[in-house]
Amino acid sequence: MTEDIKKAILAYAEGSNKTKFYFKDMEKAVVKTIPEAKMRDVKKAATALVNEGILIYFSTGSSTMYGLKGRGMTEDPTEGTE
Amino acid sequence: MAFEPVREMKKLNYDEMRIYSEAELKNYTEEELKSFKCKYEIPDLDELEKGPWPSFVSDTKQEALRRRKLSDDQMLIGRDVCEDMLGQLQTSFDEGETHWKHGGIVGVFGYGGGVIGRYSDLAEKYPSIAMFHTVRVNQPASKFYSTDFLKTICDMWEYRGSGMMNLHGSTGDLVLLGTTTEQLEPIFYELGHVLDTDIGGSGSNLRTPACCIGKARCEFACYDTQDLCYDLTQYYQDELHRPAFPYKFKFKFDGCPNGCVASIARSDMSFIGTWRDDIRIDQDAVKAYIAGDIVPNAGAHGKRDWGKFDINKEVISLCPTKCMSMEGDQLVIDNSECVRCMHCINTMPRALKPGLDTGITILLGAKAPILDGAQMATLMVPFMKAEAPYDNIKAFVERVWEFWMEEGKNRERLGELMQRVTLPKFIETIGLPPAPQMVKAPRANPYIFWKEEDVKGGWNRDINDYRSRHKR
Ligand code: HEM
Ligand code: HEM
Ligand code: SF4
Ligand code: SF4
Repeated sequence: MTEDIKKAILAYAEGSNKTKFYFKDMEKAVVKTIPEAKMRDVKKAATALVNEGILIYFSTGSSTMYGLKGRGMTEDPTEGTE
Repeated sequence: MAFEPVREMKKLNYDEMRIYSEAELKNYTEEELKSFKCKYEIPDLDELEKGPWPSFVSDTKQEALRRRKLSDDQMLIGRDVCEDMLGQLQTSFDEGETHWKHGGIVGVFGYGGGVIGRYSDLAEKYPSIAMFHTVRVNQPASKFYSTDFLKTICDMWEYRGSGMMNLHGSTGDLVLLGTTTEQLEPIFYELGHVLDTDIGGSGSNLRTPACCIGKARCEFACYDTQDLCYDLTQYYQDELHRPAFPYKFKFKFDGCPNGCVASIARSDMSFIGTWRDDIRIDQDAVKAYIAGDIVPNAGAHGKRDWGKFDINKEVISLCPTKCMSMEGDQLVIDNSECVRCMHCINTMPRALKPGLDTGITILLGAKAPILDGAQMATLMVPFMKAEAPYDNIKAFVERVWEFWMEEGKNRERLGELMQRVTLPKFIETIGLPPAPQMVKAPRANPYIFWKEEDVKGGWNRDINDYRSRHKR
């Protein structure tokens, strides 16, 4: 299950034209391919991907988004303004 | 089972941990401080020092002076960080524009919050604040620190950060202001492994929970605020550190309706201690207050002469529901009308005490302005027991989260969601029965909202069949 969700997350992240996305949008995309995936399962899978260094968090300080490491989100902060 | 730490917290000994000697910490004289001039002209900030309040500008100058006099190997980030911060602030005053840009992927491994990336867009002019990240540190319950802890964290921050900190943010955290990306992991290590302390929440996650002083010092506490705060902090570690909420979410814990942490205004989920039974009355003490043998308000307003204590004027007629009276020399309270405002208890604490059947009231949805302006919390659960391991409370928390995470839009606070779906729909979805305590006053209009299942035949009826029986 977790592996499938991870694949769905990556498919969404790679297919999206956005470089960073909210958890909710990511979750919606996963549920489209895996309808039985629960919100907590998606979160666990996303955390696992962060720990594996594939996904990264992006935080403004007040809200947090996810992104693919090395894609659009660099250490350059000018990229990160809202 | 309530949360049990795997081991006792370490006892810190500052003398073993200290980085700076006493002389290094006081490395300037009062005269030097008085004549201190920032390396930039900061006229508007100088002006800020002139008011009656303590000023962050004075504090920052003091720190800037110390940093000027420390040696190079005694700090790991820019020496001029304080002065550059002041200089940039003056520039912003001049131009009416901020020069901070934020965002980015700064953080510590495995955590999605707690560190807030900040950068200056005037890095050439103010190089020491090119990176100026904030670290939130999870404060202990009720902010009970040992001096050894505070001194140790101050040394650590002088060494690895700007030396500027804020005790405390309105969320509750101890806030470390201004460091570089390179220092984040070492700081995280020092906090976790040396100071036995975690970083707090930021971003779309559970923010660092905070509580009033509660049973540690306060006789009014109707439940153990520190224990509940600590227990939920530990239980919801994942929610605190790995953001997956639509937006921020705050818990705050007040031991009684006096609300010393103002949970009703400052948290998405506010816990306020209360009681179900009657206010306890010591009639002898009531007489002693009336006779002037005990000072009212525990002497809190005693610096001025308010005249002789008048129980009618100061207590009975101020009761918001007028549920108190004197019958002869006995004080009588109609407890079914009491709204637990605390006024009488605060005024005569030796005569009146909260009841003994205590628990919590839970309110939801307070927030500070962004979309529709500030909003106070709405009462949802009039009474619930609050005893370890708090399974009833956790079950409620999770029902609310589930709904918010399901239905909430990105960056929509719980209070905004409640308004959007309407209160009747909200309480139904999270399975709360409507209760009189949720209503401020009975409604004055006659509309009644029926549900389809309450109506015989539902919404669909055959109008012709009806007309066959009822002429127009
Ligand atoms: C007329 C003067 C001032 C007024 C009316 C005022 C009002 C307030 C209010 C209403 C809050 C929010 C309290 C809460 O969250 O419960 C606050 C927070 C705060 N104030 Fe002031 N304040 C004043 C001056 C100052 C000054 C001079 C300083 C510092 C030099 C200061 C530092 C702070 C800080 C650090 C916070 C906490 C900010 C946070 O945690 O978000 N205030 N102030
Ligand atoms: C010396 C400078 C600063 C001081 C004293 C300061 C102080 C604070 C405090 C006390 C809080 C509240 C923390 C809490 O609720 O626990 C806060 C929050 C915040 N600060 Fe600062 N801050 C400083 C610099 C900055 C800078 C430079 C930025 C942006 C470029 C910034 C952006 C924010 C944001 C966005 C929040 C709110 C985050 C949230 O809870 O949603 N701060 N700051
Ligand atoms: S909120 Fe009530 S219990 Fe908590 S410290 Fe204040 S008066 Fe005491
Ligand atoms: S707590 Fe407030 S409402 Fe209750 S009896 Fe005292 S003054 Fe009246």
